Amino acid sequence: MSLSALPLSFRFAGRELRSGVAGFRIFLACLALGVAAIAAAGSTAEAFRQGLASQGREILGGDLRVSVEDRRFTPVEREAFRRLGPATFSAAQSAMAEAASGERRLVELRGVSSGYPLVGKVVLTGAASLDAAFVVRDGIAGAAVEQPLMERLGLKLGDRFLIGETPFIARAVLVSEPDRLGRGFALAGRVLTSLEALEAGGFLAEGLPDRGETARIALPVSANVDTASKALRKALPGQGLEIRTRNEAANGVKRLIDQLEYFLGFIGLASLVAGGLGVAGAVGAYLESRKPSIATLKALGAEGVLIRNTYLIQIALLALLGVAIGLAVGACAPLILGELARDRLPIPALFAVYPMPLLKAAAFGLLAAAAFSLVPLARARSTPPSALFRRDLSGQVGLGLETVVTALAGLGLAALAVITAPTPVAAAVMIIGVAVAFGLLALLGRGAAGLAGRLRRLTHGALRIGLANLSGPRSAARTASPAIGLGVALLSAVVLIQSSLLSQVSQVAPRTAPSMVFLDVPGDRAPQFDAALARAFGQALTAETYLRFPFVSGRISRIKGEPVDLKAIKDGERWAYDNDLQMSVFDGEPANAGVQEGRWWPAGYSGPPLVAMEIDAAKGGGLKVGDDITLSILGREIDARIAVLRKVEWGGFSPAFTVILNPGALEGAGLRYIAIAKASEDQEKAATRALGQDFAEVNIISVREGLTQAVEMFDRLSLAVRGAAAVAALAGLLVLAGAIAAGARARAREAATLKVLGGSRSQILTAYAVEYGAVGLIAGVFGVALGYAAAWPVVVLVFEAKWSVDWGGVVALVGAAAGLAALGGLLAAAQALSRRPAPVLRTE
Amino acid sequence: MFDADAAPSPLVLTGVTLTLPSAAGPVEILKGVDLTVAAGERVAVVGPSGSGKSSLIAVAAGLEQPTGGVVKLFGQDMGKLSEDGRAKLRRGHVSLVFQSFHLLPNMTAEENVATPLEIAGRKGATALARRWLDRVGLSSRLTHYPHQLSGGEQQRVALARALAIEPKLLFADEPTGNLDGINAATVADMMFDLVAQTGAAMVLVTHDPALAARADRTVTMGDGRMVETAA
Repeated sequence: MSLSALPLSFRFAGRELRSGVAGFRIFLACLALGVAAIAAAGSTAEAFRQGLASQGREILGGDLRVSVEDRRFTPVEREAFRRLGPATFSAAQSAMAEAASGERRLVELRGVSSGYPLVGKVVLTGAASLDAAFVVRDGIAGAAVEQPLMERLGLKLGDRFLIGETPFIARAVLVSEPDRLGRGFALAGRVLTSLEALEAGGFLAEGLPDRGETARIALPVSANVDTASKALRKALPGQGLEIRTRNEAANGVKRLIDQLEYFLGFIGLASLVAGGLGVAGAVGAYLESRKPSIATLKALGAEGVLIRNTYLIQIALLALLGVAIGLAVGACAPLILGELARDRLPIPALFAVYPMPLLKAAAFGLLAAAAFSLVPLARARSTPPSALFRRDLSGQVGLGLETVVTALAGLGLAALAVITAPTPVAAAVMIIGVAVAFGLLALLGRGAAGLAGRLRRLTHGALRIGLANLSGPRSAARTASPAIGLGVALLSAVVLIQSSLLSQVSQVAPRTAPSMVFLDVPGDRAPQFDAALARAFGQALTAETYLRFPFVSGRISRIKGEPVDLKAIKDGERWAYDNDLQMSVFDGEPANAGVQEGRWWPAGYSGPPLVAMEIDAAKGGGLKVGDDITLSILGREIDARIAVLRKVEWGGFSPAFTVILNPGALEGAGLRYIAIAKASEDQEKAATRALGQDFAEVNIISVREGLTQAVEMFDRLSLAVRGAAAVAALAGLLVLAGAIAAGARARAREAATLKVLGGSRSQILTAYAVEYGAVGLIAGVFGVALGYAAAWPVVVLVFEAKWSVDWGGVVALVGAAAGLAALGGLLAAAQALSRRPAPVLRTE
Repeated sequence: MFDADAAPSPLVLTGVTLTLPSAAGPVEILKGVDLTVAAGERVAVVGPSGSGKSSLIAVAAGLEQPTGGVVKLFGQDMGKLSEDGRAKLRRGHVSLVFQSFHLLPNMTAEENVATPLEIAGRKGATALARRWLDRVGLSSRLTHYPHQLSGGEQQRVALARALAIEPKLLFADEPTGNLDGINAATVADMMFDLVAQTGAAMVLVTHDPALAARADRTVTMGDGRMVETAA
């Protein structure tokens, strides 16, 4: 097909594009950056999802996983499992491990039956197989122990150690289990042994807490997992079985991946929005440079539609190029990540090029290009032909096709972001927040420009020139400031949230939270336990440093007489109704009870059972003071009335129980105790060793160690999260570069004029440094203020943590924004000063 | 659809005023101008700088809307047309030559000349463009871009562009203003010869008395008014 057969607008567009895309570098960079971020986030998340899906069997440990709580499987159940296919059984118990040196640590002791694992491999060092690791010699069973636990207990291969009162030999180091991811997060170090050894050690005796069992079943290849799952439920109804298929192997991890993808994708979207000003600026500058041509074409008889189509084709082609570059980078980045981090990823991943995330990123990119390009196009289309005679004339933006499509594209962008988010409501709130922040920053930028105009009268010399430029119609305060500000706002929100949470974990929690938690203190020897602890601490126990509460596990089975309907309960509060809860009994109102509604029963109360319930959990289930609930505790159903709703200080030094009953409600029940203590590191070590003598059955959780691990994990994540947020700030800097480039000719003319008038190089450099430094300062200060406003509610209201500001980080952000912008201005000045005045002034 | 040949006079201005906004307040550029140009007539417009000559061209060609009065091109009242309507009216019937040439920088000489033909939907635009460039002595410059041409060559391309559509009315605003003596003379001669060959009417703004003398009639602008008319 010859070129002359193409519509006229295509021919004109092709001719106009002969000048190349040099003027569109910023346009392409801004678009590509945002698209690449969204594409990379989506592709990485998809890689993890595919990895999880492909290894669903390994993660679950089979095709079906069946669990029961507080009991072993019956022979009928075991037979039903075996009829489906090969099956393995496992059980786990928390207990204290003690080395010969006296070092003690809480461990999760897991026993597995022969045939484990059904799918995948257990990786050991020191033993050739699980059978070799578990072999019983001289009546002592072997076990595989995790390396960090070996180090904490000071064990070597072949060493003997106790768990409770049962001896084991560390015959292997447990490197990995195929189903670890599917079993969730563990507070304690892991020890793996045979199920027989677990039973022989009495860890699954009747009456012990958490004596549940899990079966893993491998189905024939042709079997349908959902059909098998349904058949099993039908064959064993009402037995309290929790059945999961390989397709649900790691639902928690999947949700985490969704949230991570959304967070990273949101940053990409914020980059597109911030970069949108760069897109608009580049298109505006290009079309401004084409004004004489547009006016000429109109003088030659061209109508507005031809003008619009000619330049729309160019913009569309360049947008496609920018999106394509972004997609290429976004698709390749995860592949490179996969190669570099292959063996260090905590979650299985299948890195490849996935079309759906790329399509989504392309849609975002094209909508953003439309939203930010069409208004300058509308202005260009309405350029009057009289602009040939009056150069200051420009087109006007009125209600037309371009503005309508711009509005639709903006709405489309927001809608796409909301419908692709895992939590659409939260996404809508975030998008409205970004839009409001952007609008506010634009207004503040204009306000600052206006203020600069007023202030310049009070100054002179280079400062005056800088302020005059800042207040001018093409000031970067109106264009680059909002974009940089948005990036700074996002980055500062991330920094402020992280610093508050890190401070909460590393400084506040160690002061307010207990440093040790003692589980399963025997009720009949509680006073002796208190005395042993006081001896180990070397000081008397006080209410400020030691609390002991009766403790029992139970579950809410009915609300107001009806069985619990999980679907009717808010997602965030379902934990209180589909899990066992820690419950306690108190006679009168304890200190720090946190009563919000109702009245505590008096000491010695002996009436019908009453409950003090955690207020958020109660309201999640639609409960208020005076309502009835039924609790399943130790095989009994107890009907109780809610007397109190209380605010629990989770992580504080107070009775942190979701449900507290009056003592009469559990009369005759053999309660255990849980105790919490504040202690120094030395006291902690002394107590852990000393209690091993007479209270080996008491499990000790070191909160200090847990917090230290949390801080380490936080630190590792923080760099990655800040790096991701910095992408948005980078978009802002690209916009600044675009603003500098757009004003290059005007700056060169200005510099030439100033030189002619006797201005020195240092004066001109100072003027530009003032102008652009102020742009960065405006963006930095307002951006941080917005970031502060966004971070505070997240820290205080969502995480309920103490607000703490990393002032160093904040000052660094503002300084970086101002410094980088000033540097940009100096580079612009240097470029303008490099040209001789005469040729510049001669050129129109 | 209108018939450009049917109008007795291609251009009639009646009581035309033009007031433009400025930072110092509104400025009256044209203060009641009457002008009629007959078919094939060549009219020179002279006057001092700032007298409104270029604004007169802008208003007469429909590039600028007058504040008052009536401008009729080929009998059509331009005030009643939208900007696109005025563009359609110009298409194929009215051409302009500017002091600054106003060639399209990303198009070759051939493409520049072909552009108004393409906009008017004329077939064989490229072949016609080549013939016109030959007529102005630039057949060896077909594929050159404006920045590769001298000032005189650029104005000859502009002239070819203006006349290739064989307009009924040509506006020329200081066509030799940016050219040296020799080029100015060459372009002027070429312009008058080609206008005579096509039979187009012409409104020529110029500072050059010799050039003005070659027109059929000279009108003098002064302070936004037509102060004198001479044959």
